Amino acid sequence: MSTLMSDPLATSAETWRDRDAREPAVPPELLPPRDVSRRERLSALHRRHLLREERARATYAASRSPERGWPVADNHVVLAFFRGLLRERKSEVIWLVALNALAAGAALVVPRLLGSLVNSVQAGGPGLSGQLDRLALLIVAVVCTQALLTFLAQRISTIFGQDLLSSAREYIVSTVLRLPLGRVEGASTGDLVTRVTRDVGTMSRSVQFGLPQAIISGLTVGLSVVAMLLNSIVLAIPSLVLIAASGFQVRRYLQRAPKGYITEGSTYSRINTTLTETVEGARTVEALGLRDLRVGAGDDDIAVSAQAERYTMTLRNLLFCVIDICFNSPRVVTLLVGAWGVSRGWVSLGQITAALLYVESLSGPLDRLVGEMDRLQVGIASTSRLLGIAQVPEDRVAGSARPESPHLVGEDLRFAYREGHDVLHGVSLDLEVGERLAIVGPSGSGKSTLGRLLSGINGPRTGSVTVGGVELVALPLELLRTEVALVTQEHHVFVGTVRDNIVLAREDSSDDAVWDALSAVGSRDWVERLPRGLDTLIGSGNQALTPAQAQQIALARLIIADPHTLVLDEATSLIDPRTARTLEGSMSALLDGRTVVAIAHRLHTAHDADRIAVVIDGEVVELGSHPELVSQNGEYAALWRAWTS
Amino acid sequence: MRDFPPEISTFYSAAGRKPSAAPDTRTPAAFLRWFLKQQWPVIALSTVVGVLWQLPLTVGPLLFGKAVDHGIVVHSTSGTLFWAGMLLLVTVIGATFGIVLHTLVVRSWLINLYGTMKMVTRKVVQMGHVLPRRTPTGEVLSVASSDSDEFGALTEIIARAGSQVVAYLVVAFIVLTLSPNLGILMLLAAPVLVGAAMPLLKPLHRRQQLERGRNSELTSMATDIVAGLRILRGIGGERTFGRNYDAQSQLARQAGVSAGIWQAAIEAVGVLFSGVFIVLLVWLGTHQVIDGDLTIGQLISFLGYALFMIYPIQTFFELAQKVTRAMVSARKAIVIFEHQPPWPDLETSTPLPEDADLYDVLSGFTAHDGELTIVVSAVPEDTAALADRLGRYLPADTEPVSQELEEGLKGRAARRARAQRLAERARLAALDEELATREWGVRLGGVDLGAASLDDVRRHILVSDTGSQLFAGTLQDAIDPHGRLTRQQAEHAVRVANAEDVYDALPGGWQGLLDERGRGLSGGQRQRVVLARALAVEAPILVLVEPTSAVDAHTEARIAERVAAVRRGRTTVVSTVSPLWLHHADRVVLFEDGKATVDGTHEDLLRDSPAYRRVVARSMDAPVEEVSGHEHTHV
Repeated sequence: MSTLMSDPLATSAETWRDRDAREPAVPPELLPPRDVSRRERLSALHRRHLLREERARATYAASRSPERGWPVADNHVVLAFFRGLLRERKSEVIWLVALNALAAGAALVVPRLLGSLVNSVQAGGPGLSGQLDRLALLIVAVVCTQALLTFLAQRISTIFGQDLLSSAREYIVSTVLRLPLGRVEGASTGDLVTRVTRDVGTMSRSVQFGLPQAIISGLTVGLSVVAMLLNSIVLAIPSLVLIAASGFQVRRYLQRAPKGYITEGSTYSRINTTLTETVEGARTVEALGLRDLRVGAGDDDIAVSAQAERYTMTLRNLLFCVIDICFNSPRVVTLLVGAWGVSRGWVSLGQITAALLYVESLSGPLDRLVGEMDRLQVGIASTSRLLGIAQVPEDRVAGSARPESPHLVGEDLRFAYREGHDVLHGVSLDLEVGERLAIVGPSGSGKSTLGRLLSGINGPRTGSVTVGGVELVALPLELLRTEVALVTQEHHVFVGTVRDNIVLAREDSSDDAVWDALSAVGSRDWVERLPRGLDTLIGSGNQALTPAQAQQIALARLIIADPHTLVLDEATSLIDPRTARTLEGSMSALLDGRTVVAIAHRLHTAHDADRIAVVIDGEVVELGSHPELVSQNGEYAALWRAWTS
Repeated sequence: MRDFPPEISTFYSAAGRKPSAAPDTRTPAAFLRWFLKQQWPVIALSTVVGVLWQLPLTVGPLLFGKAVDHGIVVHSTSGTLFWAGMLLLVTVIGATFGIVLHTLVVRSWLINLYGTMKMVTRKVVQMGHVLPRRTPTGEVLSVASSDSDEFGALTEIIARAGSQVVAYLVVAFIVLTLSPNLGILMLLAAPVLVGAAMPLLKPLHRRQQLERGRNSELTSMATDIVAGLRILRGIGGERTFGRNYDAQSQLARQAGVSAGIWQAAIEAVGVLFSGVFIVLLVWLGTHQVIDGDLTIGQLISFLGYALFMIYPIQTFFELAQKVTRAMVSARKAIVIFEHQPPWPDLETSTPLPEDADLYDVLSGFTAHDGELTIVVSAVPEDTAALADRLGRYLPADTEPVSQELEEGLKGRAARRARAQRLAERARLAALDEELATREWGVRLGGVDLGAASLDDVRRHILVSDTGSQLFAGTLQDAIDPHGRLTRQQAEHAVRVANAEDVYDALPGGWQGLLDERGRGLSGGQRQRVVLARALAVEAPILVLVEPTSAVDAHTEARIAERVAAVRRGRTTVVSTVSPLWLHHADRVVLFEDGKATVDGTHEDLLRDSPAYRRVVARSMDAPVEEVSGHEHTHV
């Protein structure tokens, strides 16, 4: 066996931690002190709030520049994205603004008319009754118009929001479908799943409701201010000044809250992950006696989440402190200034009534505006994670050269996942057309990496893999797939028809071609028996397939792709031998007449191959047929003896 | 009064202490009552505070009207100042209690939310491996992730509705004293107004449901695309599935637009009705003013109350909706919480002997004390079933009963389906109990495992099967979850399982972080960490099911040799067909049709048993026959 250059556990003593020295989930500074005076309690609350703020900022920063996983876009990319979406819908935006402005305007006329009603009553005089009736009818007419305009404005907002949303999500999925092959094969899909589910959800809410609502509330607030000024400048100014005084606190809140909510969201997904692990690993928990630990882990997550909740709660309380006063006290001010104005003859009772109605109805849109700004910011954070997907750089540039033959050659291949840590050290392999080559070697020796280079998933750091004289990474993906394929155990069945599931590599395949492929893998019979044949929906939630049928579908895909070379990476999981037996025929139909590179974990695969390459520590140390290697008496021979003795 | 996060010791409590009383799971309503009973101080206080918070709305218009009548109209500065002062006072009281109320609402909401989550976790560990036999994992999780929120919402709405009732009564009293005619009109008209939108709600809800359905379909399509992304980018099909997604996205858009238009209609109707209502009220009011029955200030007060009346009525409708939703959630929650562990409450348990042979009655299999016994079978299910029996696990052979009914099932059909599920759940529970209480059929030195306490069995026999799972955390926690090992012991376990490369690959060594379920490690790496963890426990009896199935031959050979050496003298059972393990066995037992048929050393059996040769030789020189996955070794 290979000799280790150095002990991988050499740093063990430095990284091992004593249990008692571990930090608790929630630092003690975040717990309220006991038995202290009210003043100390208050200052302790202040300290805790600042500490929580720091934690939220750190979580947010970490979410913006993840150590691993997919990139996250900048805020200005997000803004440009939204600007682009709005620019494509100029006429809708104009309609949206115009109709909402009209609806809000109509709403603002009503208090004025009510004010005149009050004025008329106060003035008294002859013909008052008829005058009042006319005024009332006028208000009814305005209310009807307002209702109609509200309907139209809401309708256009819905249509606009839904249109924006569907374009945005379709764009995101199309970027996912364009991700570079090399990155897709490498990275874990968990982060991507979170993005297309949770982040799309958050983005949806802000695009569908947040954006139109922010526009509408902004318009209403703006127009209300105008209406108030038109009604009476004297009455409006003090109220507006009071409301504007909350601006400072609102700004403070808006700067902090989104980070708080993002942190909160992440604590809930953490709770969910831990619980999922506990439920799915229930047996492991029981076997190893981990109950207390799992309960403790869940409680810790909740304690951390509670801290995040306390932070946003305090933020909201600080905000409410100010806006409840600033948005509600204008009614008192209106009263006082009004009384003063009436005594001086500057304002009428009707104007006071209208001003009161204006300030009462202004707090709703103002609250909503603050709320929507919140939601928009959280939405922007999610959108930036979604747009990050589009920022993954391409991993290949397709050239125009086309292979002249199916001859696959790898020369002087080196590759590193981490800079400076090559896992292959100048491997060369020349595959004869139609041969079967087995690659064996200990785990971590680089044989899987070699398989990925030979199938064009990744480009080598140095050297080249060519087919018929053309580098694999210089081929367009559509062409590469019909030359070499990496066969994986992932027999994922997509939600879609049987046909959709098979024609992947050549999406314009005829039904005859699909049936031929199904026949080749021995699936024709059961597909014919399906209720709607090739049009039957399969995949999660639809017609269920047995594991063997799912694997046959996977094989039929490869028959359609029809590559001349297959790379089989056989990190065998527990495969049911009975399934394997029924698939034997399907598999040999696929392998027949093709060049095969088998990355073998089981020695029987090697035994049957034409040639065997033994890869150790990133180098091919032995290469030859089974009898040759056995007679060489090297690594392979030793292993074979162990296997067969 | 309780604060969040709440302390919970329902269903399970740490080491030795008794769990507290379980919730009432007889009916959804009983469960909700149990829930609310624990919360009543917070709810009561929130109600009182809620009344104070609404003071500006309930007495504000009255005060404003008084200020007009006794201040502005009669040009009395003192009158104006007095009533304006009252108004300011009320505004400040409202704002102050608004903050108290917000704090209380967050508190009661989170007590329920976190409390439910904690109860689910405790139920899961209390039930152990039995729960997945009975209930789909997703439904357990959704009680914690979504139903818990409904229980939070319930306490909030109850407190809010309570304070609105008081506010409504106060306002009713005020308006009736101001003007009986207008007062009665207002009190009657307000419910009618809110009720007028009711006929529109049904079609809206139907469309919203459709929209939700299509959106969740859309989300699962996106998840599906990501799950199969390697295939889509490796083999192709981006256009087909991109197109399918776009088509569904458009369907969801249409459903959203049609729901949105109904929503717009409801809003418009709301604007119309409340507008007309106010005009009507003011118009009648002005006539009363002319007749001298009402002062101008009182008219303005009425104007304010007309705006207010909408809220309590809306709140009552909301209450009805949320109670319904909480009932639905309660039904889901009790299905999880009502499970009881099937294990018998032994009054006298027999202690398990040390140093004894382990015997399985059903298959006739014996593992001799202190030996490495390898079980070989052509059918992996047989050895998996043996491992379950040896460790006293109920087999995972049941179909968990889902409580989700098929879409569109209503009325009688839904009730029937629900009754069926109920019966099926009861059947499973009875079956579990039957299996768990009768003689188990595996004996350790003559003592049936069923006569010993379950804790004793778990201490003696550790089964590490193919479903063994890693948990998120540091590598140190993964190898030594209990914190019992010295560094040297942990290093030793890692070396025996040949998992040094995992240590090397993780930045931070022992403190390197594993993702949930060990995702991010290759299948082989995961398997070796699981093995190291199992070895480190140093269980008297260790049962390993296919411990190296995802590991290459080089490594497997090393592991087999080291495990055999380190377990020497202690009972170890391994199920595998790999020759690299077999020649380390003290004894090999062949399983055919679920029975132990032949036993002996690997060499003996190869020589003497044609059946054994068939099973083992198959793994030695069968052709390539598997579509196999690849092992990613990523750092």
